[in-house]
Amino acid sequence: MAATTAPNETRTRAFGSERFKEALVGYSFIAVPMLVYAVLFFYPIVYAIYISRYDWGVLGKIGDKGAGNYRELLHDERLRIAIKNGLKFTLAFTIFSMALGLFVAVVVNSAVRARGFFRSAYYFPSIASSAAITAIALFILSADGLFNKITGLNHAWFGESGTALWAIVGLNSWTTSGTVMLFYLAYLQSIPTDVYEAAAIDGAGAWRTFWKVTFPLLKPGHFFVSTLLVIGGLKMFDQAFIASGGTGGPNNATLVPVLYLYRVAFADANFGYAAAVGIALMLLMVTLTLIQRLTFGRGGAN
Amino acid sequence: MADQHVPTEKDFVPPAEAALVPPKAPTARQLAATGDASRGGIGAIPGRSGTERVVTVVVYGLLFALALLYFVPFVWMISTSLKTLPETAYFSLLPKDPSLHAYREALTTFHFARYAANSVGLAAAVSVVNVFLCSLGGYAFARLRFPGREVLFFAVLATLMVPDQLRLVPIFVKFSEWHLLGHYHGYVLVKLASAAQLFLMRQYFLTIPRDLEEAAKLDGAGYFKTFWKVMLPLAGPAIAAIAILEFEGTWNDFFWPLIIFQTSPDHFTLPVGIFSFVSEYQTQWPQLMASAVIAIAPIAVLYVFFQRYFVAGVASSGVKG
Repeated sequence: MAATTAPNETRTRAFGSERFKEALVGYSFIAVPMLVYAVLFFYPIVYAIYISRYDWGVLGKIGDKGAGNYRELLHDERLRIAIKNGLKFTLAFTIFSMALGLFVAVVVNSAVRARGFFRSAYYFPSIASSAAITAIALFILSADGLFNKITGLNHAWFGESGTALWAIVGLNSWTTSGTVMLFYLAYLQSIPTDVYEAAAIDGAGAWRTFWKVTFPLLKPGHFFVSTLLVIGGLKMFDQAFIASGGTGGPNNATLVPVLYLYRVAFADANFGYAAAVGIALMLLMVTLTLIQRLTFGRGGAN
Repeated sequence: MADQHVPTEKDFVPPAEAALVPPKAPTARQLAATGDASRGGIGAIPGRSGTERVVTVVVYGLLFALALLYFVPFVWMISTSLKTLPETAYFSLLPKDPSLHAYREALTTFHFARYAANSVGLAAAVSVVNVFLCSLGGYAFARLRFPGREVLFFAVLATLMVPDQLRLVPIFVKFSEWHLLGHYHGYVLVKLASAAQLFLMRQYFLTIPRDLEEAAKLDGAGYFKTFWKVMLPLAGPAIAAIAILEFEGTWNDFFWPLIIFQTSPDHFTLPVGIFSFVSEYQTQWPQLMASAVIAIAPIAVLYVFFQRYFVAGVASSGVKG
């Protein structure tokens, strides 16, 4: 390795055993983490592929299926629904959290005083327990909850198949907007002030300055944030699981991919097929990330 | 407190090492600086002072309107937790006759005292083992020379790409075979060594000057002693960041406790307890809101005191699902 041949090694070279000892110490320091990664990250990938080739129940292997589980993926109606819900959720969630997060970031960034306070306050929902936040949302968005009271609408937001997924979109966009704000604030502050001075001299108002100067200059930020949000959106689980009581209902409205995977494994006790679903989902995520990188990302590097 | 300069992750990510962080991520220093009022945004544009005043009024108006949006759910949670069930039908912000009855019931009848104890224990355990293992590992990758170091370090980073839903089935099947399901140590095992935190420690150790170690070595200190007595005390800020991020991550974790403790309710953590309460007694709002307060308040307190470390975690942890 590069480090072992560095020129300042001459001193230790005289003590061959010293070098051997250093290597031993190094291996012993990393032994436990490496074992964990081997057993809990790399081995499971191989093992998932293995399981996916069997009909596998609660008590273990039932029978050989070959590629049968993968063929089933293609004709699985509920998987199709789950992926559709997942994509719908991800698209809406990405757009709303970016819009809200950027808006909040611009407002916070314009405040000269108390900027730190507002930044901390808006970030807080992002680090509060997702389960507790979902419980609050269940209450506020219930049929006789605060939200209906304030808006005069009348929906059981999580209870109707037409609104349930949108309620989660709203909930997650709200919590995640704090994180988005933090990132945008960092990008906003990397924009040199003389750009704004030039815009002011040209007589551009705040609105025009934002759309013509700030927004385009934030392009690397848009790319970075949207990449994170798309991956996060596809992995969404906690809120849909808790709000639907683990079912993905009503009428499969909140059945998102990871929740479907959970149900195949634990409600249907079909581990072989669940492993295949897990592999398919990972491929879907990798593909979407690559597409995003190729289209959006190309111009993203300034 | 919040404004002291505590070195955070970004302070110790040398640009060349930032490969882990996704494309064009703001550095930790940038993130840490976003709260300082030292740099002007739009508010600092030199212009007509009248317009400026209008802008200021609009900005602060918006800030407070947004604060409402971000705070009302929490205020409503606290207010409801102090009410009785019939009273939740009235939309009064202040409970007429505030009582801790809902808390008492949540803690005893609905087992949230047990869930809270489980959460505290697991979060503390995960936090401690991660501090220990990640600082040992981070030190080795930063400072010790051994064959295969770069390859192994690449493997560490590669684990960050493996999504949990791919690991779900194989880990569940294996854990059931190994009798780890329904045990606290089964959960701790899943969280034993976080690659993100190991990376963070490595980056921090890379920034500590070598002279100190060399001096210790000349004094005859062995590798472990050098690590323990010299390097570890110098890594205080990074250790604090890891401890807090792991505590928060474990405290809020829903996915793995759900998988590992699903058949042993006495092992539930607060988030799983909230789920089980929701599925059984959905409309007992005061008790549910009391349990939400119990799950949120400790993190809120930590956040007030250690805000910078939470911000440092943004870059490494990304977006929660």
